[in-house]
Amino acid sequence: MVVLREGMCPGLDENVVRDLRAADIKTVEDLVSSDIEELALKCSLSYKTLFAIRRVLLAQHAAFPVSGADLYEELLSSTAILSTGNPSLDKLLDSGLYTGEITELSGGPGSGKSQVCFGVAVHVSYHLKQSVIYIDTTGGLTASRLLQMLQTETSNTEEQMEALQRIHIFRLFDVFSLLDCLYSLRSGRLQQASVGGGSVKAVIVDSVSAVISPVLGGKQNEGMSLMIQVAGALKTMAKDFNVAVLVTNHVTRSDNGEVRPGLGVSWSHIPRTRVLLERVEGAGSVSCSSFRSATLIKSSRQACRIKEEFDLQWWSRSKEGSSGKRKLEET
Amino acid sequence: MQRPVSSLGLSPSVKVKLVNSGLQFTADLLHLKPLQLSKDTGLSQQEALEVLQAVKTDGGGDEARGGRVPASLTALELLQQEEEMRSIVTFSSQLDAALGGGIPVGKSTEICGVPGVGKTQLCLQLSVDVQVPQSFGGVGGQVIYIDTEGSFLVQRVIDMATAAVKHCSLLVEDDEQRVAMTTFTIENILSNIFLVRCHDYVELLAELHLLPDFLSDHPKSRLLVIDSVACLFRQFDDLSLRTRLLHSLTQQLIAMATRHHIAVVITNQMTTRLRGSHSQLVPAFGESWGHAPTIRLLLQWAGSRRMVAIYKSPCQMDATIQYQITSEGFRDADQPEQSQSKRPRTHTDQ
Repeated sequence: MVVLREGMCPGLDENVVRDLRAADIKTVEDLVSSDIEELALKCSLSYKTLFAIRRVLLAQHAAFPVSGADLYEELLSSTAILSTGNPSLDKLLDSGLYTGEITELSGGPGSGKSQVCFGVAVHVSYHLKQSVIYIDTTGGLTASRLLQMLQTETSNTEEQMEALQRIHIFRLFDVFSLLDCLYSLRSGRLQQASVGGGSVKAVIVDSVSAVISPVLGGKQNEGMSLMIQVAGALKTMAKDFNVAVLVTNHVTRSDNGEVRPGLGVSWSHIPRTRVLLERVEGAGSVSCSSFRSATLIKSSRQACRIKEEFDLQWWSRSKEGSSGKRKLEET
Repeated sequence: MQRPVSSLGLSPSVKVKLVNSGLQFTADLLHLKPLQLSKDTGLSQQEALEVLQAVKTDGGGDEARGGRVPASLTALELLQQEEEMRSIVTFSSQLDAALGGGIPVGKSTEICGVPGVGKTQLCLQLSVDVQVPQSFGGVGGQVIYIDTEGSFLVQRVIDMATAAVKHCSLLVEDDEQRVAMTTFTIENILSNIFLVRCHDYVELLAELHLLPDFLSDHPKSRLLVIDSVACLFRQFDDLSLRTRLLHSLTQQLIAMATRHHIAVVITNQMTTRLRGSHSQLVPAFGESWGHAPTIRLLLQWAGSRRMVAIYKSPCQMDATIQYQITSEGFRDADQPEQSQSKRPRTHTDQ
């Protein structure tokens, strides 16, 4: 429902808008679905003017179909696959994060979601030399950890600082700030962030459930609508700007004790690929190992339920020949 | 692309009125005057003005005014900010080393444990430690202590404060530290702890709503302790309401921690989880609460020894450390009792 305003198209000036309002035509839909001849008689406007206005408005507001072949060509030329930096995760994700899609990481507390997000940010910023936008809603982002990860990639301080400058961080703690941020990114700040060197290729939101779960449920009637708006903003951003969107989610336990991702069934349709991270249970009640297992629970490209184990220390591994760092087994 | 009106931070009744009169996108609102808007939609003048202000700061663009459009910082700037912020030491050097300097300022930390293992002792120790002057490597800040169980004992704080003052006075090396020691006395330590007693969850939520103003009035605050949050939320009938309240509590706390540069410390209790025939002690409130704190410390008994495990941390590896509670407070285990033999703590560039 788009309201008719003067200046929307040539021929639609103030007088015309006023006459149309008097005839109870307030929106573009009303104009387009009414009979032009009758309208011309009722409003004492010329048939030709109304016809021209209607044609321009239809062209402005209609969606145009694209053939499958053209769509495929476009996808081939514009989609990129961003590696996560960890070979086991890449194998699970069919070689990495695809641009134009939303990928979700869910897991319990301490399962490694934020660590994977840091690893992806560092990899995209350092190896691919592209900018990353990191939206942190939980306060878990520490730049010193990013620096630690960068220090295993290179010991050149200049390069480390450059890579750090390509990661843009937003710290927000409620859903309306998140929506403000996403819409302002879409309307132009994404281009601004690219000025630093390299275009933005990845947008990471850690975590989306922290801001949405307080508004869901109970007597609040806006929660679902806000959740779907966040999803819509992320999806159109991914498609229009060719970025890979990575979000994290919490988990809940279902009645039979099974762990599943949070935010319910409505959210489960939003991400294209979903990965569940879990701690690998060692002996004893609190395992201090850094191994995690990742299970693919939803994918449009691979068989589901495949599992991979990886080591969180992958991002702190030492290079061959560097001095003094603790040596870890390569996964 | 158009931004729908329903994504603005306004009350739902206002948004319903806007949508019903055909104004679905913020672009439609940009050209309207308040009087015209209130006539068309049936809103009051005041509401129309609020709507237009919300739309203007959104469409206005890139200046981060009053937090409407958030400012971004690069990771490099964040790193510089972090290097200026110190951590709060716990007086147990092994735990401090494992935590990378101590309890970090600007993040929320959860301490869970069975009864009697030392959670309140650690909280009291942190309330004293946060006041160690900056010339000794401490943070030099004030404390807000929200007590829900009534376990805050002034006498214990006096014991810990005495030990801390004695420890620091033995480390005095230069004039700056000597000057700092004149203000680091037991009376001053006690007067920098602001104690709040909450008896139910409504009082806690009300207190948290009033805290941002208090923190703006007392800019030297560096620590907020809530001991314990479990006590208030355990007798809930409506579990989904409890989950929602806990989530919004979390977001408020982390927002305060980030904006006012304070460390938030929360204490939690343990509950038993049954898995088949196997039972396990886990922190209360389940999986969704586990995401709330940034760092989780689990205090537990291993035989007759007390251990602290770092269960979740974004920048440190998981580790388990033994500690003990002495008359002087929270200390490393197996350390000789005389404080003179402790190696002096130096904070280089944490």
